[in-house]
Amino acid sequence: MGTNDNGDLLPPDLLAKLERMELVSRKIFRGRMKGERRSRRKGQSVEFADFRNYVPGDDLRFIDWNTYARLDRLFLKIFMEEEDLHFYALIDSSPSMDFGEPTKFRYARQLAAALGFIGLVRGDRVKVLSMGDSPTSPAPVLRGRHQLWRMLDHLASLEPTEQFSLAEAAKTFCVRNSGKGILVLITDLMDKSGYEQALRYLLAQDFDIYLIHLLSVEEFEPEVQGDLQLVDCEDGDVAEVTVTAPLLKRYKRTLGAFIEQARDFCNRRGILYFPARNDVPIDRLIGGYLRQRGLVR
Amino acid sequence: MPGFINMLSWWQWLILAAVPPAIIALYFLKLKRRPLEVPSTYLWHKSIEDLHVNTIWQRLRRNLLLFLQLLLVLLIMIAVLRPGVKGAKLLGNRFIFLIDNSASMQASDLEGSRLEDAKRSAREAIELMQPGDVAMVVSFSNTPKVEQMFTENKRALLRSVDAIKPTSRSTSLSEAIKVASGLANPGRTSNDSNDVQVAEAKPATLYIFSDGNFPETDLSLGNLQPVYMPIGTDGAANVGIAVFNVRRNDSQPDQLQAFARLENHSKAQATVSLELLLDGSMIDAARLEIGPGETQGFERNLGELETGKLELVITEAEFLTEEGATLEDQLALDNRAWTVARKSRPANILLVTSGCEPLEFALSTNLAMRLANVTLESPNVLADEKSDYYQRAAVGAYDLIIYDRCRPKVMPQANTFFLGTLPTTAVELAPETEGAPPRRVDVWQAEKQVAWPKIIDIDSAHPLTQWIAMDNVIIFQATPIKTPSGGTVLMDSDLGPMMVIAPREGFEDLALAFPFVDNIADENGVEELRGLTTWPGRSSFPVFVLNLLQYFGGGRGGLDSLSVQPGGQVALQGPVPEKPLLVEKPSGGETKVAVSKLGRATFNDTEELGIYDVRSDDKPVDHFSVNLFDPAESDITVRKDVQVGRLPVEGRTSNWEPARKEFWKWILMAGFLLLLFEWWLYHRRVYV
Repeated sequence: MGTNDNGDLLPPDLLAKLERMELVSRKIFRGRMKGERRSRRKGQSVEFADFRNYVPGDDLRFIDWNTYARLDRLFLKIFMEEEDLHFYALIDSSPSMDFGEPTKFRYARQLAAALGFIGLVRGDRVKVLSMGDSPTSPAPVLRGRHQLWRMLDHLASLEPTEQFSLAEAAKTFCVRNSGKGILVLITDLMDKSGYEQALRYLLAQDFDIYLIHLLSVEEFEPEVQGDLQLVDCEDGDVAEVTVTAPLLKRYKRTLGAFIEQARDFCNRRGILYFPARNDVPIDRLIGGYLRQRGLVR
Repeated sequence: MPGFINMLSWWQWLILAAVPPAIIALYFLKLKRRPLEVPSTYLWHKSIEDLHVNTIWQRLRRNLLLFLQLLLVLLIMIAVLRPGVKGAKLLGNRFIFLIDNSASMQASDLEGSRLEDAKRSAREAIELMQPGDVAMVVSFSNTPKVEQMFTENKRALLRSVDAIKPTSRSTSLSEAIKVASGLANPGRTSNDSNDVQVAEAKPATLYIFSDGNFPETDLSLGNLQPVYMPIGTDGAANVGIAVFNVRRNDSQPDQLQAFARLENHSKAQATVSLELLLDGSMIDAARLEIGPGETQGFERNLGELETGKLELVITEAEFLTEEGATLEDQLALDNRAWTVARKSRPANILLVTSGCEPLEFALSTNLAMRLANVTLESPNVLADEKSDYYQRAAVGAYDLIIYDRCRPKVMPQANTFFLGTLPTTAVELAPETEGAPPRRVDVWQAEKQVAWPKIIDIDSAHPLTQWIAMDNVIIFQATPIKTPSGGTVLMDSDLGPMMVIAPREGFEDLALAFPFVDNIADENGVEELRGLTTWPGRSSFPVFVLNLLQYFGGGRGGLDSLSVQPGGQVALQGPVPEKPLLVEKPSGGETKVAVSKLGRATFNDTEELGIYDVRSDDKPVDHFSVNLFDPAESDITVRKDVQVGRLPVEGRTSNWEPARKEFWKWILMAGFLLLLFEWWLYHRRVYV
């Protein structure tokens, strides 16, 4: 089942590494079902959390009789509550993502698969979807390790779509999905109308948003020279350039400014921003960088 | 002023001019851009916002490579055209620069002086030398001086030209050419009579920087090619003092008179203001008008002046040409002249005779008494070596000693006149057999005695025999003289020379082949003093005696000091033998001059004009003056053509040989450098 590159999306050794990880949310969400995720809410589980004085009306089942026997006072045992987490991986499927080696889109799917797998292993509620998804074939909601193949299958079926507006796509996503849980947005932010509106929509939904700003090596260091007519793959826009050292310098400066601007925008709004490039192996990105920044642990 | 040589017609220029636009057109064709799909032009647009160019000029604005290529093509095109300017070159590749530094080159008609202009021209010529050319620099006045031997080193040549100093001397090109040709043709021996070619001759070009005021030479130039560069301007005017001396007033013999002759070397009427100074204070001033090319005398009675330093100065000289233009005197050197008046000392004359009435009588006239103190001695003193005669003759106390029918054993330190006998001058020759004493050979030899010689020729140019007519003189008996080497026959007869003069160590010996009187034995064997010639009875005899007194005694008994030309040699007589003399120059410096055993000294350092004082132990001994007195130098007219070594040489009007100076090599070189730069630029990929 699945396409040829399913195995490539998550190689076994990567799976082994990912199995030990879990997704971390900076916000506390009330899960719908009991999950494997420890909640800050105290509740019923096997994991002891604390004692507290008995107040009339408490469930007598949680009174620690041993302590009563020793101290002659009533204490209530408090246990950690465990619950599930909503995890959304949102992939930008605009044509601009279909560049690079591997393509940014494939890299994004791989990343989504990896993060999704972590969620599945930990019993979180995982939904992996692309922004340009047509409403007729909604992404499945997955839970549990056994759902991995379904997730990979769905990812494999994703294709770069026609050009769309990030803001529109974000709006659509927000309408369809409730605003609880972690949202990992994997995109190159290359939208001439701007990405700010899209992020504002998502923020309004109170997601714990992680933005992985994925750019290809070719975008960081364009290997072009001579007199060129650059054609935008999304809107066919043409830029005539004669590539020169000063122009390349200027391009890099512009790119740096673009990244800084995005990072600044995200930091001000509590979005965790990760720049990523498609030549960094997935396991290093997740095991190293994302772990350091607290998306996984 | 270099002029551009056009080598193309207008349509060729047009084609050339069309090449750069063609290249630009090709550049635009080449500018078709390659399409390339990128994820987003978002960043690119932002990047090229201010680089975004649409107009042609903006497009070209920073296209350095295009400009470099255009420049390169332009340079190559110019180089291919072989651009040139009218330049100059020198003839050949070996040069001798002869630079005249004689007195006339101090004329100020050119900026600085003529010498400065000549040096400037020579420097120009040196700068024109091509790599590999060699040159030498010789300065010349009356003597040449090699300032720099053949070298390629332009700096050394320029330095040597700069070092040339002006002199006040006269000009002699032939000496300079001898030096130049000797050095230029090293294969030639310096001996003119045996001019043997021993090595390959190397032709050289002889550049003569001069005003042309030198005597013509007929020296062979060998393979020197002369080029005469006239230095000076037309119509340079000069008035010079050609003669300045003191002489006796003809009408009042006890009074002295200063006499000067001024020459106008110009084509304009000159008005000259003169000042005569005696010991530094002015005693007379005069204004003279001198016509073009004429000379004018100036006389001033000095009264009964005994001694004094006289200076004649041309304070002002104005020249008015026929056209009405005024000129200035351009040569200052000959505007001053000096002389020293001094008491005349009569000549000391010794007559050694056993009796010679005609001569004794001729020497006792009033005029002769004034000119000379005559002492009589008998021939016996010649035999007595302790006599007063020997001492006085040995230290040169006499100006002239007349030996009548007798000869001294040793020749005296004096001029001599031998009557009927010959001087005893002898030279020593190596002996024929080894060990033998050296042979003494008499310089003077007599022929066999002859009777009735007839005088057929007289050297009327010599001061001793001028104004003498001998055709009415009968000589009964004479012993003709064999002319010694260096001697001159003053009086020749059909039977042999009758009067001969020859130099001897600074003196002169005069010998007459017959005495005026002699003891002649008659038929009875009785000797009687008889006249051997009718000469004493003729009017030419007292003239000859006066000539004799003036010639041999005149130098010392003159009324004014000796005047020499700059650079000339002065013979001095010291009062004490072997005691050095001090010569003080006009500018002040003192020079010690060694005096010989015989009390004689020579002084050579006479470059400076003016009066030189000669002293011995602070006692003034003598004066002499150095004056230009050279009409050839005073005449500062520039010769347009000169004769050098039998060749008439035309003065060059334009300075150097016209030559085409090409610099396409430099342009091509610049092109290659440009190409290198372009290559480097291309590989740095910083092309804009």
